[in-house]
Amino acid sequence: MHRWLAAEQRKPSGAPVDPRAPFVLTDGSDAPRITALNPAAQASGLAVGETLADARARIGALQVRLAEPAADTKALTRLAQWATRYTPSVALFREESGTDGFFLDATGATHLQGGEDKLLANLARRLHAFGLPARLALAETAGTAWAVSHFARDRAIVPAGTEAETLTRLPVEGLRLLPETTLTLRRLGLKRIGDLIGKPRAPFAARFETELLLRLDRALGIAPEPLALLTPPPVYIATRSLLEPIDSEDAIIAVATRLMQDLVPRLEADGAGTRSLRLSLYRVDGAVQRLNVGCTLPTQSPDHVARLIRLKLERLARHLEAGFGFETLSLAVTVAEPMKPRQHTLATASEEAERAQRCTVLLDALRQRLGPQSVHHLAPVASHWPERSETLTVTPHEATWPPAHSACPRPPLLLPRAEPAEVMALMPDGPPLRLRWRGRLHAVRHAQGPERIAAEWWRTARDAPTRDYYLVEDEAGRRLWLYREGIPGRETAAARWFVHGMFA
Amino acid sequence: MPPAAPSPSRAEIVADLRRHLVRMEGMPADGEDGLSFGLSALDARLPQGGLAFGAVHEIAPANEADLPSAFGFLLALLARMPERSPLLLVLSSKKLARFGRPHGHGIAGLGLDPARLILVETADETEALWATEEAVRARGPAAVAAALGGRLDLKASQRLLHAARDARLPLLLLRPGGESVPTATTRWRIAAAPGTRDRFGMLSGWRWQATLQRCRNGRPGEWMLEFDHATHRFGLAAAVAGASLAGGGATQALGRAG
Repeated sequence: MHRWLAAEQRKPSGAPVDPRAPFVLTDGSDAPRITALNPAAQASGLAVGETLADARARIGALQVRLAEPAADTKALTRLAQWATRYTPSVALFREESGTDGFFLDATGATHLQGGEDKLLANLARRLHAFGLPARLALAETAGTAWAVSHFARDRAIVPAGTEAETLTRLPVEGLRLLPETTLTLRRLGLKRIGDLIGKPRAPFAARFETELLLRLDRALGIAPEPLALLTPPPVYIATRSLLEPIDSEDAIIAVATRLMQDLVPRLEADGAGTRSLRLSLYRVDGAVQRLNVGCTLPTQSPDHVARLIRLKLERLARHLEAGFGFETLSLAVTVAEPMKPRQHTLATASEEAERAQRCTVLLDALRQRLGPQSVHHLAPVASHWPERSETLTVTPHEATWPPAHSACPRPPLLLPRAEPAEVMALMPDGPPLRLRWRGRLHAVRHAQGPERIAAEWWRTARDAPTRDYYLVEDEAGRRLWLYREGIPGRETAAARWFVHGMFA
Repeated sequence: MPPAAPSPSRAEIVADLRRHLVRMEGMPADGEDGLSFGLSALDARLPQGGLAFGAVHEIAPANEADLPSAFGFLLALLARMPERSPLLLVLSSKKLARFGRPHGHGIAGLGLDPARLILVETADETEALWATEEAVRARGPAAVAAALGGRLDLKASQRLLHAARDARLPLLLLRPGGESVPTATTRWRIAAAPGTRDRFGMLSGWRWQATLQRCRNGRPGEWMLEFDHATHRFGLAAAVAGASLAGGGATQALGRAG
């Protein structure tokens, strides 16, 4: 039954496809159907949805490949990321739009390319260079742009306010409707979008899903069309296209520094500093590399940012592939926070403040090179349960630590997971006399305790039995923190012992 | 010629040579700050009246099982750093990780406010060395301590020494494996010892047998150090344990110095 697949395997799948001969993609079901075809196959009368068996019967030699929707989506996402060089707001086509393209929100970005027509020309030229045939359209609404690009001419610019006029001539398929809806409309003789515009709405609302009127309103710009953007557009972004592609680390940092300098006046005007930055490097061949840089405190300093980027590049040296070089760089502030105005006078800058400033710079540097999780502070948590009594924080915390109590000592080294130990005690609820831990026997010279620690009342005794902690000193003077799990005779029959920490 | 006459001049010469040697070796000069133990018996042995700033100090456990004690000694020393300045601790040693992770409440028990501490954990030794040097050069933290597990060759340790000297802050290196640092100004070996008890028989302080194996421009020695829980201060064990140890330490010290 998998004869065609077997035939596929006999022929090495790496054999190049002849684009001039009929070529189709099929799904992987038992009775494969065509999911996509090239112009040659279309010309010979094949259509999407036809079974492969029928197609083979009609035209003998047919080039077939299995469709890979996941890989297609990935490739499209990559392409969309490349397109962020034109505008940061890029949204992939969703199910209803055909998942084979993307929207660019070029509002306020066209002048960077020298106008709308130049933008389209540039985009078309580059896509063509990638070997991707594309149909482009620019309009006030996403719906109109989609309809024009699919059913009118290529590279069309629809002037603002002429959406209705443009759509009138286009077929109803241009509204991105469900196939059933389109079929019903056609049966009713409503073949063009113009047949729907300006008609009474009530009959349509009664006979069709809300989809029809919604899409029409969206295409006409009466209702807003939400786009699922690839990445949320940053508040501050600076982009530079270079005459010559660059590939050296120093050149990248030099450009990044200049980009940050471009951003500084805008940040200063808003009294904001950047906490997180994204540097996008657009490679000549269309691949995009991204670096994320984070700071502990908001900053406006181009030097500081440059240094962090350098450390990040050093860390990523293995993963960063320059290829033929990067032609466009953009620096976006992904997180901006209000910043206190800087003291410019020397007299007021205290030694302590300077030290704190140097510490912040150091922590940022360490984080870029070692990873954000590698640098942290300890913060107390209001819990007696040793595992839950502290937490790791990224920024220095404000809470003060409770004073240490000599009656309930805590070890400076705590095992991440308490380790079972074999303990001999005179009585089931008595202090330990001897213990074996990590294959070593310790004779207890002194045991201090017990300190009874129970879990919070909302946790049951079965999940977290009460613990009796002992500070134990062996004959060599080594001090362990030991606990017995469960109160013998009440919570458990045979108590188990664990080593939980080391004292100095 | 009176027999006493040449000895002062000889002492002068020796003192003069010492000063020159200090300058030639690039050691911290007199008058530079030191991290004092608050114990005259120890501080007198150390040229700066304590662990010199702008130098590398090595702390190693006498035995691998003594590692928690050596770590505690390191934290107790850090706690003696003045003001509320931040302190940075680089951790990369797998050996230390076997004994657990730093626990804030326990660190507070050694008199060190955990809020002052910045912990840096690295995946490998090369990164730990880089982070240590970076931290020292930044002059942000008041003191830097690092638990480095790997081999530390002469070049790497010289880099650390230069960084510490330029930044004029103390760099404490905990060597869990006990391998020595070539450029260390002082080298301490710490072993656990049975703690002190109060009159109710409860532990009132830790005790460490601290050996100063090497000390440039100072005299090595061996002490039974006490660390009091309540006051967070160093002390010397009472004469009970001290007599033989102190005597032995002194003779040993003389032998080594000679």
